[in-house]
Amino acid sequence: MSRGTLIYGGKRLLLVLGTAFIVSTVTFLLVHSLAGNPFTCEKNPAGCQHEAAAYGLNNNLFIQYKNFVWNLVHGDLGYSYVNQGVQVMPLLIKEAGNSLILGLFAIIVTIVVGLIIGVTAAIKQNSWIDYSLSSFVVFGYSVPSFVLATFLIILTAIALPNWANSIGWGAPEQIPLPAIALGLPYAAVVARLTRASMLDVIRQDYVRTAWAKGLSSRVIIVRHALRNALIPVITVGGPLVTAIITGSVVIETIFGIPGLGKEFVNSILNRDYGIVVGLYTFYAILVGLANLGVDLLYPVLDPRIRYA
Amino acid sequence: MAAILEVKGLKTQFIVRGGIVRAVDGIDFRVNKGETVGIVGESGSGKSMTALSILRLVPEPGKIVEGSITFDGRDVLAMNDDQLRKFRGNDISMIFQDPMSSLNPVLKVGYQIEEAMRAHDRFTPEEAKARVPLLLRRVRIPDPERRAKEYPHQFSGGMRQRAMIAMGLSNEPEVLIADEPTTALDVTVQAQILEQLRDLNKELGTAIVLITHNMAVVANICTWVVVMYAGRVVEQGPTEEIFRSPQHPYTWSLLRSIPRIDEKLGGKLLTIKGLPPDLTNLPPGCKFHPRCRFTVDRCFTEEPELMTVGPQHESRCWVQMDNVADRDSDIREVPVVPEAENAAV
Amino acid sequence: MTTITTGQNMGPPIAPPGISEATDYSIAPEQVSLWQDAWRRFRRNKLSMVGMVVFFIVLLTAFVSIFWTPYSLYAQGLGDVAAPLTLQHPFGFDASGRDVLSFIMKGAQVAVVVGVLTAVFTSVVGIAAGLAAGFFRGWVDTVISGITYIGYGIPNLLIAFLILFITNRPSIFNVIIALSVTSWMDMARLVRGQTLALREREFVEAARATGTKNLPIMIRHVLPNALGPIIVQATFLIPAAILFEAFLSFLGFGLPSPDPSWGAMVSAGLQDRFLTYHTMIIPSLALLITLMAVNFIGDGLRDALDPRLKR
Repeated sequence: MSRGTLIYGGKRLLLVLGTAFIVSTVTFLLVHSLAGNPFTCEKNPAGCQHEAAAYGLNNNLFIQYKNFVWNLVHGDLGYSYVNQGVQVMPLLIKEAGNSLILGLFAIIVTIVVGLIIGVTAAIKQNSWIDYSLSSFVVFGYSVPSFVLATFLIILTAIALPNWANSIGWGAPEQIPLPAIALGLPYAAVVARLTRASMLDVIRQDYVRTAWAKGLSSRVIIVRHALRNALIPVITVGGPLVTAIITGSVVIETIFGIPGLGKEFVNSILNRDYGIVVGLYTFYAILVGLANLGVDLLYPVLDPRIRYA
Repeated sequence: MAAILEVKGLKTQFIVRGGIVRAVDGIDFRVNKGETVGIVGESGSGKSMTALSILRLVPEPGKIVEGSITFDGRDVLAMNDDQLRKFRGNDISMIFQDPMSSLNPVLKVGYQIEEAMRAHDRFTPEEAKARVPLLLRRVRIPDPERRAKEYPHQFSGGMRQRAMIAMGLSNEPEVLIADEPTTALDVTVQAQILEQLRDLNKELGTAIVLITHNMAVVANICTWVVVMYAGRVVEQGPTEEIFRSPQHPYTWSLLRSIPRIDEKLGGKLLTIKGLPPDLTNLPPGCKFHPRCRFTVDRCFTEEPELMTVGPQHESRCWVQMDNVADRDSDIREVPVVPEAENAAV
Repeated sequence: MTTITTGQNMGPPIAPPGISEATDYSIAPEQVSLWQDAWRRFRRNKLSMVGMVVFFIVLLTAFVSIFWTPYSLYAQGLGDVAAPLTLQHPFGFDASGRDVLSFIMKGAQVAVVVGVLTAVFTSVVGIAAGLAAGFFRGWVDTVISGITYIGYGIPNLLIAFLILFITNRPSIFNVIIALSVTSWMDMARLVRGQTLALREREFVEAARATGTKNLPIMIRHVLPNALGPIIVQATFLIPAAILFEAFLSFLGFGLPSPDPSWGAMVSAGLQDRFLTYHTMIIPSLALLITLMAVNFIGDGLRDALDPRLKR
């Protein structure tokens, strides 16, 4: 990695942290400016007051925000409002691990399926694979992830009745189903882009040069065509990560995966302010880092691109 | 001399919506060992398609429909995919017109040359690696060790074409086909590249098939000339013979359209009137007759065969220019049109 | 070798000079407007035409369900969830013994209202913002582009959830607002780009030279020329909104009962999976088919209105 890239990456990293700070501030202020607090004051006014005081909710907003920022820069996101005594930061870090595993497998599904279909459709242009692709693409961006997930659950229940329970988390055999449900719809988008890009690349002069050199078709397609075709495809990397994060909210809920997405749904349903603010901060950092990672991939794939 | 490459009756066509494009319509020529052959013609004359046909690299929807290509006694058109792969870049290699786009932008130049050798078994992987700087030095790229580790965008146009030549020669092929290798380059660089090709032909004995629209380039380095028009060979013979006494009106016109330094100022240049024919809808008779100024009656109805007109010299015309007495009188009627594309075909 | 070319058709027959003017019978090609041409292209796209038919059926179902459903949405205990499908109840019963077909019909209504209203609302806001940013440039553009730039970095869903979290009362209106808050930005970006290009064109110059005021220029000269991409974008907003509403309802953030959403029905059906699958499959298919239909329409429109963007 060149020095220019490092400086560029450093600058972008600062930008990510800045964005995360703004996002956490906005969510904090919005959430805390709401009337009332999450503690049920109707039943137990005294206890409610006590608990609210423990969380500092009786201070004015400015002091609350000052404390929040102070804690935030020290890497502390405070406590859960619902499950008392649970610290937000360690909880989210633990859950982020599970989400990361799911997300990585989903991205692998997206990339592998998308590239295989896209490349095949381009090489066998006007074949049935190519013709089915446009329908698959529309299916891909039409099918809601929860519909795909439910179908997959039914299918495994019918086809593999003896298979271990597909719902749950912790065993390796519980990874494929949610990963496919999460990753497959976006594979259609990758496939479409790959096809268009490959069709462009395989007509390039340097691919003709590669044929004239006597290289095998496998080498030409993978090393010469695909490597170049991937460059425009990476642009979906950022949106892909966003889609995976969004999708994980529902997939983790369906499959009972203890990750950030499930926590997100629960914290909003339970109105757990502490976790909500923490999660938004977390997501802002995740999306920022993912986009940064994608941008740092460009110079790796294309030597003509340099960050100076 | 023994023929290393022989093309007979080759026809390459493109089936498109408007009909059949007869890009190459029955051509014959041969390349002897160590010879330099120039294939000359306008754009659309089928010269590039001929070159691509030899390596069976005709792009879709083009197809070789007839004829034979024989390399060293082997039938190229009968080769299966694997034989073809081993043939390309090993027995015959090719370099292309635009060096800017002919090298893969994401791979190092040295790697692309090494890869060409790795694809064939003439050299071991170690030898292949070691040969890269030697090859680059041979085509006069300075500091070859460092340059080998650079990407194409770090090379100038002329250097890229040199790298392409190094790649083309890496497996010591019998024949190197160069398709307009200098057209996209600066004039000064053009001369260097041509000189390079001539030297390599002398040093290594590699036969060179040079495809060009430029008669001057042919005169410079080729010993044999094939003139193409509308997918056919219209005249061929030794370079000296063709330049001294061209027999086909097309060749004759081409040579008369080049400004000559030994002619006095104000002399008139010949232009070839009209446009190259529509390859989906060729005229009857001789394909050149709509643009020819020396037609006789049979030109309109009957296409001539290649006829011997001198020692090793063939022409596809009912008329021999040597027999046209007042051939120069015509030129005076032609106004001076110093258009570059006409002057250089 | 198939055809042999002869001299007979070497080009257009040339009339002898002198009579050509009198017998000049060449007919000018029929003038086709951009929109007629687009419609012709659109009609040729089979998948889009199927999509049109399906979406029309969904619209019709939604309209009918306002006045009539086979059974009342409140009628419980009509039958067992595990009972086989019959002619009287072609989609069977849900876990409370209610008629699934009636709920699917009413669900179409919710989907159509959310989809179409969001698309309209978002388009109006996005077009206005994009036109203003592209036409006036300067600080207006800086502000609007700045907002869309920030919005680009945050997943839309998270913003929408935050809005729902703050409003804390699920209703169709809140769902539409939550979705519109983010999706107007895409429309604004699109219209801004188009406007920036169009405002430099001669016909806009001409209108300005003749003293036409800004607003009429924007509405009469700029907007109609940007309409193609706008229509395409607006069409894709419909399935996006339907999908999003279903998503929220599936997670339990959707509309309050008894407003039925297909998303909520899938969620409920998932609970019945040890008894039967139809309560899950039927709303899933309703959702999937509707979304695919509108997306096919959008694909067809894009190909028809912008031939440069093939696939």
